[in-house]
This record gives sequence, structure tokens and C-alpha cells, in this order.
Amino acid sequence: MIGHTEKIWFTLMALTILGALLGETGNAGWPLTLTVVALIFIKGGIVIDHYMEMRFANQRIRNVLRLFITLVPILVIVSFAWGEEIRRLTTLN
Amino acid sequence: MLFTAYFIARVHNPESFLNGPDKLVTIAGTTITLFLLSSGYCMVKAVNAIRCDQQKSAFRWIILAIMLGLAYPVVKYFELNWYIQNGVNVDEGVFYAAYYYLTLNHLVHVTWGLMGLFFVAFRTYTGAYTSESYSGLEAAALYWHVTDILWIVLFSFFYILR
Repeated sequence: MIGHTEKIWFTLMALTILGALLGETGNAGWPLTLTVVALIFIKGGIVIDHYMEMRFANQRIRNVLRLFITLVPILVIVSFAWGEEIRRLTTLN
Repeated sequence: MLFTAYFIARVHNPESFLNGPDKLVTIAGTTITLFLLSSGYCMVKAVNAIRCDQQKSAFRWIILAIMLGLAYPVVKYFELNWYIQNGVNVDEGVFYAAYYYLTLNHLVHVTWGLMGLFFVAFRTYTGAYTSESYSGLEAAALYWHVTDILWIVLFSFFYILR
């Protein structure tokens, strides 16, 4: 019988294979970048809420983990959109 | 801090990060992801089993989680061997320096996690955990899931993103 945990596992497998196919065929650009950040957010969120059961835990702890998988995609977008500006800001001379 | 290094390296070396994934073996990264997430699934089942006082079932799930988790260093060994033989090293560009820095760091943490899983497997086998008291097993499972989250990010950074 396929239960909730099995459906979660299957979703993670499918999203991983989708990501791998993108890695092999995708070209650099906004569509790939946004798909990758969506995959990080969705897969990370699934692990946090369903594998770690954080949806039943203290919300502060859940928010810390959620912050990580939200911040990383934001930084990917920021580095893609404003890479030149960040390079200038982080250059020492 | 580790991820900050990645982003700084990325904005300073866009060419290296654009072409870097071409030399990495995507199937190796994908296999590792599938094994780690499947191992995480086994730990979810182990925790669920101990909640029903099914120690034998929980033990079997932990052993399966360990076996799937051990596949990670094995795949990594063959992957790194392939890179060494084909000259994919830190001299090839900043992308590969960041790749080795972050993924080997992750591998070290997975090793700690596997040692933790061996420990809770032994404890489960000796009947140390019950439905009333299983915080040790749950803590090991949580640590293991965090390594999953970190690998999801690293897999996307190095094998997919350009």
C-alpha cells in the first residue's frame, strides 16, 4: 500500500530526476535559474515538513530551517541578476 | 559562511561557473541524491516503527538507511577517481575549487551522520528505544535529514545551475 511517506519519497525522486535532466539539457538563463531555485525550495520544504516533521514542531525551529531554504534561492537570484554589482562591492582594490 | 564563499566565487568567476558543470558527472550527483533521499525515507520509517514499539522493524529500516547512505561515499569515490584521471582538479578553475571545498565538507558531515546511524542501530538492536523514549533515534534521523537538505542545495549549485 502506498502511504503518505511513500508519496513524499516518490515526489522527491521525481523532482531529483527532473533536476538532473535540466542539468544535462538546460542552457544558462532565467528559466533554468528560476527552475533550480524552485526545486531547492520545494524539495527542501518537503524534507523539512515531511521527513523532519517540522510542521508539527516548534514554529521557531521550523522557521529557521525554512529561512535557510528561502535565503539560498534568493541569493541565487540576486547573484544572477546583480552579479556585476556584487562583484564590484566585494572587490578589495 | 560556506555558501557565502560559493556566491562570492560565483559572481567573481561567471565563466568558470557557466562551463564548470559540463565536466562534472551529473549521473553521479543524481545517484547520490537518490540514495541520500531514499536513506532519509528509511529513517522516517524507522522513527514511525519505533513509535509503534516495533523495534525489529525499526532496526531493519536503520540498517537499510545505513546501506543506502554508504552508497554515497562509494559513488563519490568513483566520481572523484574519474575526475582525477581526467584532470578535473582545482587548477581547472574556481568552480572546481568551490566544488571540492563544499562537497568534501558535506561528505565529512555525512560520515558523522553515518556513525550516528550505526550507533542508533546498535541501541535499537539492544532495545534501548521504545515508543515512550526514542529521542536519540529521532535526533540521529533529524541530523541525517539536514545532510539531505544541504545536498539538495549542493546538487543544484554544482550539477544543474549555470
